Amino acid sequence: MRSDLLRRSALVTCALLLGGCFHLTAGDKTRKEFKPPRRIDPAAIAVPEGYRIDPIATGLTYPTGVTFDDQGTPYVIEAGYSYGEDFAEPRLLRINPDGGHTVVATGGHPPWTGVTFHQGAFYVAEGGTEGGGRIVRITPDGTLTPIVSGLPSLGDHHTNGPAAGPDGALYFSVGTATNAGVVGPDSANAESINWMARASEFHDIPCRDVILRGLNFTSADPRTPDPDDTVTTGAFVPFGTATTPDQVIRSRVPCSGAVFRLAPGATAPELVAWGFRNPYGLAFSPEGQLYVTENGHDERGSRPIFGAGDYLWAVEPGRWYGFPDFVGGRPVNQEWFKPSGAEHPPQFLLAKHPAPPPQPVAFFGVHSSSNGVDFSRGGAFGHRGQAFVAQFGDQAPDTGKVMSPVGYKVVRVDVTNGVIQDFAANKDKGNGGPGSHLGTGGLERPIAVRFDADNGALYVVDFGVMTVLGEDIKPYRETGVLWRITPTGKKEGP
Amino acid sequence: MKATGCLLALTTLAALASIGCGPARRGVPFGPPLHLTERQKQGQVLFMRECNGCHPGGAGGLGPGIANKPLPGFAMRTQIREGVGAMPAFTEQMLGDAEVDAIVDYLNALQETPGPL
Repeated sequence: MRSDLLRRSALVTCALLLGGCFHLTAGDKTRKEFKPPRRIDPAAIAVPEGYRIDPIATGLTYPTGVTFDDQGTPYVIEAGYSYGEDFAEPRLLRINPDGGHTVVATGGHPPWTGVTFHQGAFYVAEGGTEGGGRIVRITPDGTLTPIVSGLPSLGDHHTNGPAAGPDGALYFSVGTATNAGVVGPDSANAESINWMARASEFHDIPCRDVILRGLNFTSADPRTPDPDDTVTTGAFVPFGTATTPDQVIRSRVPCSGAVFRLAPGATAPELVAWGFRNPYGLAFSPEGQLYVTENGHDERGSRPIFGAGDYLWAVEPGRWYGFPDFVGGRPVNQEWFKPSGAEHPPQFLLAKHPAPPPQPVAFFGVHSSSNGVDFSRGGAFGHRGQAFVAQFGDQAPDTGKVMSPVGYKVVRVDVTNGVIQDFAANKDKGNGGPGSHLGTGGLERPIAVRFDADNGALYVVDFGVMTVLGEDIKPYRETGVLWRITPTGKKEGP
Repeated sequence: MKATGCLLALTTLAALASIGCGPARRGVPFGPPLHLTERQKQGQVLFMRECNGCHPGGAGGLGPGIANKPLPGFAMRTQIREGVGAMPAFTEQMLGDAEVDAIVDYLNALQETPGPL
């Protein structure tokens, strides 16, 4: 009795102790509101002793990637689309020494999500929320040639990458159509994601045949004017289509939530690994191991999942990584992942799983949106073999509530033990957040990182300001920045 | 009597903590690097696997910041084993006692390290 009283008292104390600071950030409206122009102040960003950060180019509209040509000149892509359903023109820009830029090429199939310079040309991942995903080749004179077309990325997540492998092949990825395998009204929101208006029959496609348990989900039907209309939808099928127990969903490659390899000269991608949700960033370690970052599930839609983090995976060819029934290597049907207000945790959608999924290399913050990744190759920058990851930052509450801002920084990962440490983050006395939230000119939403050819500098692509008010996502054009982090001499660590 | 004394101590701790909220972020680039013992390093690795998702780097996120509170070790162990609110309980099958102790040791090191000025 006495020990029980003590145990209860300890729990109450824990709650009080841990809860005391929630109000400092949770209800702050400044993360939901922004008045241009964006301030830019490198002094507002903390980097380790022995490094400095500088803005290289400003005024970019939704930049998502950076690469370098053979002369070391940086090039940036602008996506041409942002959540919030704002469409612009995707562009490849050469960044001039004075910080200005020259347009090299423009294109379609937005959002452009990544770029790499490989064997004398630029290769761009066209995300394809319009027109489907593509991998295109752009020569330095601006001539654009599709290499792969028709990638199934019309939905929540897009075609990502590419990264050039040590075998000379290009590797890229395709995200899933949905949050958790079931098309829901969360994909028909004109203020955040509204792909259902463009591709009403689209859904997730498995890379191998799967057998369903026949779970169906009833939701509002945004296709009709009556707000009381409902509809029933199963997994791996179009919105409004029910499924049955033991129903087999046939596979098709290219598929959703997968990593692909494109051999030199080939136009048909080979499947490398599948079962990811949104494998966003791809990079090879100095030893030639492919790693991907994965954006974990949100607490939204017909199958919301609570508490799913983002992950760094070492990609093993042929493996299944868990979507839609495992989160970071853990089965989704446990209390951890039960959404607020739900009676039960999410249940499995598949009657049989291809194999036990592997475990992540690193576990990032829930809703951190851990995106672009690159590996240090040592040299003047140091930290050889460690992964640097750009964290776009949470989109709360649209993706799920948080107590404090998550992400909005660049972190460093020791892939040998999964230890994550901040590398560049905004200065403040609280839990951080975007510069516009903190009232400074610091980082907004880092989305990509890339070391230059001699590993002397880490370039950080900052997407710019994107606010979230309820389900209303509002991106701001011409607020993107290309930052550069360089060593100045004395450094911490190896 | 002993229980009453403990309760008083816990209440005092809670009251102190409620007025002692400080920055939760630790380590480079926000301050001196952490100097960890071998057990604290083991705790750090376990923390990254089991705790970092909700308390990234010990700061707030999905859950509250835990690097800026003077939480006594026994309270941390209790919370890890029992869970509080949305935080799940970690069973002995998920984390052994020695592993919990290592995490607590690491958290103590975080709390003792200065945060941003």
